[in-house]
Amino acid sequence: MDYKTITYNRLGETLYEYDHPAGLKAFLVKKTGYNKKTALFATDYGSIDNVFEKSDGQVMQVPDGIAHFLEHKLFEQEDGNMLDKFSKMGSSPNAFTAFNQTAYHFSCTDLFEDNFRMLLDYVQNPWLTDENVEKEKGIIAQEIRMYEDSPDWRLFFNLLDCLYVNHPVKLDIAGTVESISKINKELLYDCYNTFYTPSNMVVVVAGDVEPELVFKTVDNMIKSKDGGKPEKRYPEEPETVNMEYKEQKLRVSMPLFNMGIKDPVRLAGYDLLKRRTALGIILASIMGRSSELFNRLYYDGLINDSFRFDASVDQSYGFVNWGGQSSDPNRVAQEIRREIDSTVENGIGPDVFERIKRSHEGVFVRTLNSPDIIAREMMDSYFNKTSYFDLSRVYEELDIDYTNSVLRDLFTKTTALSVINPI
Amino acid sequence: MESTKVKTSAEKLAEKEGITFYRINSEKFKTNRVDIFFLDRLERQRASANAIIPSVLKRGCRDFATQRELETRLEELYGAVVDGGCGKRGETQCISFHMSHIAEGYTSRQDKLFDQCSQLLMCILQNPVVEDNGFKVPVFRQERDNLIDHIRSRINDKMRFSFLRCLEEMCSGEAYAIPDEGYEEDALLLTPQKTFGIYQEMISSYPGFVYMSGSIDDESAHRFIEQFSRLPRTNPGRVGFTDNTKTVKEVRRVDETMNINQGKLCLGFRTNVIPSSPDYYPLVVYNGILGGDVHSKLFQNVREKASLAYYAQSVLEKYKGLMVIMSGIEQENRDKAEEIILRQFEDMREGRITQEELDATKKSLRTGIKTMQDSQGAIVDFFFSQHLTQDGEDFESMAQKLESVTIDDVVRVAGRIQLDTIYFLKPDNVQS
Repeated sequence: MDYKTITYNRLGETLYEYDHPAGLKAFLVKKTGYNKKTALFATDYGSIDNVFEKSDGQVMQVPDGIAHFLEHKLFEQEDGNMLDKFSKMGSSPNAFTAFNQTAYHFSCTDLFEDNFRMLLDYVQNPWLTDENVEKEKGIIAQEIRMYEDSPDWRLFFNLLDCLYVNHPVKLDIAGTVESISKINKELLYDCYNTFYTPSNMVVVVAGDVEPELVFKTVDNMIKSKDGGKPEKRYPEEPETVNMEYKEQKLRVSMPLFNMGIKDPVRLAGYDLLKRRTALGIILASIMGRSSELFNRLYYDGLINDSFRFDASVDQSYGFVNWGGQSSDPNRVAQEIRREIDSTVENGIGPDVFERIKRSHEGVFVRTLNSPDIIAREMMDSYFNKTSYFDLSRVYEELDIDYTNSVLRDLFTKTTALSVINPI
Repeated sequence: MESTKVKTSAEKLAEKEGITFYRINSEKFKTNRVDIFFLDRLERQRASANAIIPSVLKRGCRDFATQRELETRLEELYGAVVDGGCGKRGETQCISFHMSHIAEGYTSRQDKLFDQCSQLLMCILQNPVVEDNGFKVPVFRQERDNLIDHIRSRINDKMRFSFLRCLEEMCSGEAYAIPDEGYEEDALLLTPQKTFGIYQEMISSYPGFVYMSGSIDDESAHRFIEQFSRLPRTNPGRVGFTDNTKTVKEVRRVDETMNINQGKLCLGFRTNVIPSSPDYYPLVVYNGILGGDVHSKLFQNVREKASLAYYAQSVLEKYKGLMVIMSGIEQENRDKAEEIILRQFEDMREGRITQEELDATKKSLRTGIKTMQDSQGAIVDFFFSQHLTQDGEDFESMAQKLESVTIDDVVRVAGRIQLDTIYFLKPDNVQS
């Protein structure tokens, strides 16, 4: 078998890589000594891909939530539900739909090959009927209703609604009860045929298995012909925010806030990884647990242990956000804005930069304990045209000048604030 | 490369003054960690104080006087973690402290990270910042307020809230009804002095378990254990037991309303099976068949066949011997959902269980036991749970016991399980 072996000595990891002739990429991250074997089969297609060009050139706009709906439906096969088949073998199957990808996966300890073949088989063979599509609407409606009652979920999507004017990242991944009512078998097949093609997909395995076995199975099981990379269409997104503030009332004990900045810079590959890492370091310098700001706000009782921050950077969208519980979200927002302005003014100091970089590298190394995290990150980075293991190089090369230039570039832009107030 | 299957075991290194020390060695992880548990009977008088202790201790110690200094130090140590928390297992309250750091081979410098990080952990445990024979006043007040906010915020997560409310209603009048973090009213009455007094009791007399995991050599392990001899241990207590004797006289119904969209139905059961009983493993299998996974009766019938819910599952509380079935549904489907759920429960009792259901459950449990050994946290949790109930099982012996369960065993256990309380969190229909 013709596959590549890449050894990351410093991380103690080995990656195997295989190119299927139909355009599908397959990875194995060998985790010696682990019982658990995880495999994931994913398509570069998520909730934001609701406008696209079909292979015949026709541009389609499909109902919101259709990628997620399709994810639910793929489990159904003519001879029964895939969830049952996996669970009869003692493995746990699942799937998820994100903004930018849909992934089907399982983890098992025994019978890896059988499970793996089943995964590769069912994702390539949808079985949709008018009846089974209708039945799923009830289940998904309850999933949507559950999220309507989740304050954290609402808080986050309200922030995205503030940040984005047009981009579909602002839409709920599952759609709405109304939008899913318009979904039918034909639309689902249109989406499936467009996006579930080998060159738009990836296979990732993490666990103690042999590369020959993984890649031979991929070779035997991939039947689809390459349909090429589908053409996705995203609307023009202005640099300005949609609105600076949005509030909703829900049954919560105290106000929740989430604040963020939209990143207009579009990157892919190593550069994307580098910017994402720099953003993480910037956020930690300004508002991390060792920062003056965090400790002041915590000491004044304005934030508590629930405070978190994050940087999401993808090829087609990017934003930084932070938040938690607070008795006075507006005051916290002002204090944070003021601290951001002063950090932009003064830059991040070399000691702080080196210390936080080292700490974040440690957090990266920790993630390598988990086959599930590795599989997911390998998929995500592949779709963004880079490799998760290149983070090691990013931490070696990332310097303070670049980081401060990202700080000055992004953190001068408008912040938006989403608040959930108690009823 | 040939993979090596090493047995995951907890090696007992020492037992001193009511604290037992274990080492769980494994080379495959990139982190080392230490977990310390102090145990107390779950009682209202001390529950809130116990809950607040880890939060106050995390705020600084003799060597790192403020949280900021402590967090800065952790960043220097390659993003090491020192944390603490509090929760209940049955009617035992567990105050936990935790440290973890990346193993030395993955750092660019030669540091003795285990020693440095464990010293930090011991410093917050042993040398809190004290004034007037109590915790520092502003720090104490902030953490008391945070605890109260935390207690109040349990309404935010509706699924968890309805689950907890169901258990509370069911165990009303029993110690188990006390929430993990105690009550708001009790937290308000705490003072820095009183809480410091409880902290001193914890240090001097609560029974404890300590786990070191990763690749920790004998010398480092013993140096760490040695640090505990500085604790003023006097008169260490014993781990209390959980009362599982209550039987059901009448099924209770509790309805509460909240401003929400989706109703949450929870059915609470008494299993009448204690963890050390031979019926415990059949109970675990029972729960798997009824509502443990996607092959289960609840998932298949409530979700897949009737399309009533996105989730329908059952969970066990091992120590107190309870089981809760939960599902999120439309209000108008309440009776229908309840009927389908109770029919599954009856089917179990009447032995309508297929060999396929039994096999799928056993395989899934076996996979679960094997995969637990791939997570340091899960391994610690497993052994701590065994030590708490004095079962002495390891992963292999537990897997064997589950493997030998028959349908007859499951039906026998099914006959002991009693429905106790039906709790429904109802949307109040006035939301805009």
